Amino acid sequence: MPAYHSNFVGEDADARKIGNFPLLSFRTNYKGPSYPTTQEYDIIDEVLDLFRPNSFFKNFEVKGGADRSLIYGILYTSQALNEINKTTSQASAIKALNNLALEDFSLPGDPSFPLNNVFTSPKDRVEYNLLKSYLNQFRQELSARLIAKLYQNDIHNPDKFWLALSKRKFMNKSL
Amino acid sequence: MASTNPAVIMGDGTGLTKLGFAGNDAPSFVFPTAIASRSTTSGKSSAQPVFGGNAGSTTSANNNLASKRGMEDLDFYIGDEALKAANGPNYSLSYPIKHGQIENWDHMERFWENSIFKYLRCEPEDHYFLMTEPPLNPPENRENVAEIMFESFNCAGLYIAVQAVLALAASWTSSKVQDRSLTGTVIDSGDGVTHVIPVAEGYVIGSAIKNIPIAGRDITMFIQQMLRERGELDSSLRTAEKIKQEFSYVCPDIVKEFRKFDNDSEKFAQFIVENESKTSKKIIDVGYERFLAPEIFFSPEIANSDFLTPLPVIVDQVIQQSPIDVRKGLYKNIVLSGGSTMFKDFGRRLQRDIRDIVKERITDSEKLSHAKSSGVDVNVISHRRQRNAVWFGGSLLAQTSEFKAYCHTKADYDEYGPNIVRNFSLFSVP
Repeated sequence: MPAYHSNFVGEDADARKIGNFPLLSFRTNYKGPSYPTTQEYDIIDEVLDLFRPNSFFKNFEVKGGADRSLIYGILYTSQALNEINKTTSQASAIKALNNLALEDFSLPGDPSFPLNNVFTSPKDRVEYNLLKSYLNQFRQELSARLIAKLYQNDIHNPDKFWLALSKRKFMNKSL
Repeated sequence: MASTNPAVIMGDGTGLTKLGFAGNDAPSFVFPTAIASRSTTSGKSSAQPVFGGNAGSTTSANNNLASKRGMEDLDFYIGDEALKAANGPNYSLSYPIKHGQIENWDHMERFWENSIFKYLRCEPEDHYFLMTEPPLNPPENRENVAEIMFESFNCAGLYIAVQAVLALAASWTSSKVQDRSLTGTVIDSGDGVTHVIPVAEGYVIGSAIKNIPIAGRDITMFIQQMLRERGELDSSLRTAEKIKQEFSYVCPDIVKEFRKFDNDSEKFAQFIVENESKTSKKIIDVGYERFLAPEIFFSPEIANSDFLTPLPVIVDQVIQQSPIDVRKGLYKNIVLSGGSTMFKDFGRRLQRDIRDIVKERITDSEKLSHAKSSGVDVNVISHRRQRNAVWFGGSLLAQTSEFKAYCHTKADYDEYGPNIVRNFSLFSVP
């Protein structure tokens, strides 16, 4: 069986798009351009659900815009897990991932962005800034929910079964 | 004498040899197909593969010389003893069977000698023998086997059976099998390689056989890799193998299975490793590898990137390459054999996946032809004898009264020579 695809592939038609990257809305308290939504299951939940199975796969065929959100989310999750080690406490993990989410990161189209063959770059400065702030919000929300998952059983030590997956590279890429 | 004694069943595989008598439920001996003989040149380390494929002829010449001088040729061990002896000095280990075929005949002869006299403790002239061979075994190899069995051991009679056919016979014990036919697809997965072999009325369809480089060892290595990534206290191959045997199972869908692990912490298991003197204990946590490891049959991509075709697709391809008039029979009777097919729910998952593939093809063709298909029945048969299916099938066939009529006897051999075994005398049991 091939890797799992996003279930939002059909639903992103009416979403705003920057290049071919859809700005799917998700539940969040962080400030940013995502529209508020009451969806029970949003793209970030899906990223966290599919991160574990998909991180074992090296090949992934993009079937629609939402798959790009999924790829970005999974690669970011993997990067985030690499910031945490076995003894990191919840408090320091929150700090570390906050820094990671807000630090300067590359966008589609930047020369240092690893996935330029599947993403198209923003057209102009306005789009660029919109995408940047959307991804910022996306990364913050994803970090928060990831930490909740990692520390749900034990607030001192993260789940080692999740951490072990940080060594796997989805699509052989990393952010 | 030979007509009343039970036949001897010898199943020599690449990894393990199974020995026993016909009519029994299980083989009397199962041990590695390994032989440790005294190194011809002292100082060679035992780990070196002294008897490689090319070196075979020269070493056998040396051994013949040695036999003329003294007793050196009697100084060897087989099976578990061989592994132990090879740890010390002076002995070197070799595996005479590679990829299912006998590579070193001199070693194999001595291996059989010990199998018969030291393990089974029987007189070969009083017993008929049933030997197994891999599919597509060249006839020359069968002749060699006959030569050794008749000339060296003077056995009463010999029958050489194809492993896949015996595996089919073993499935007759399953309650799912209604008619005892020798038509079916055999999935034989051992330690090194997995074969998918179509058999029509007892004859192997050689042109459609496929091999898959995924088998027991790959699953063990995958578990070991996951243990290492997690930094478990013990990640030896032995531990990984134990975890594979005790905890692994096949799941219907990995995403759902991950969620089950989230909701139910009892799914995580613990494996305790004790050292030999039982003084120290190491606790190994067992997690997602429980269902991910056997998953590599169905999604090979998760373990390596060289081979990407899932097992159900391969089975479908094999059947589609077989003659059109036997395909229904091949789909109806897919039989599992070998240790790596023992995972819980392996058969169910395989059956579901193959059914999906077949159903899709049928709906496509119905759409194109506007005719209603009569449907294709897909059945995967799991049974309790899967682990030693080949041996058990041999035991079943050889206990029938017809068996001896199909054997080549010593008298035939003396009359016609080794080429009598070139003929494949098919066993048809009512």
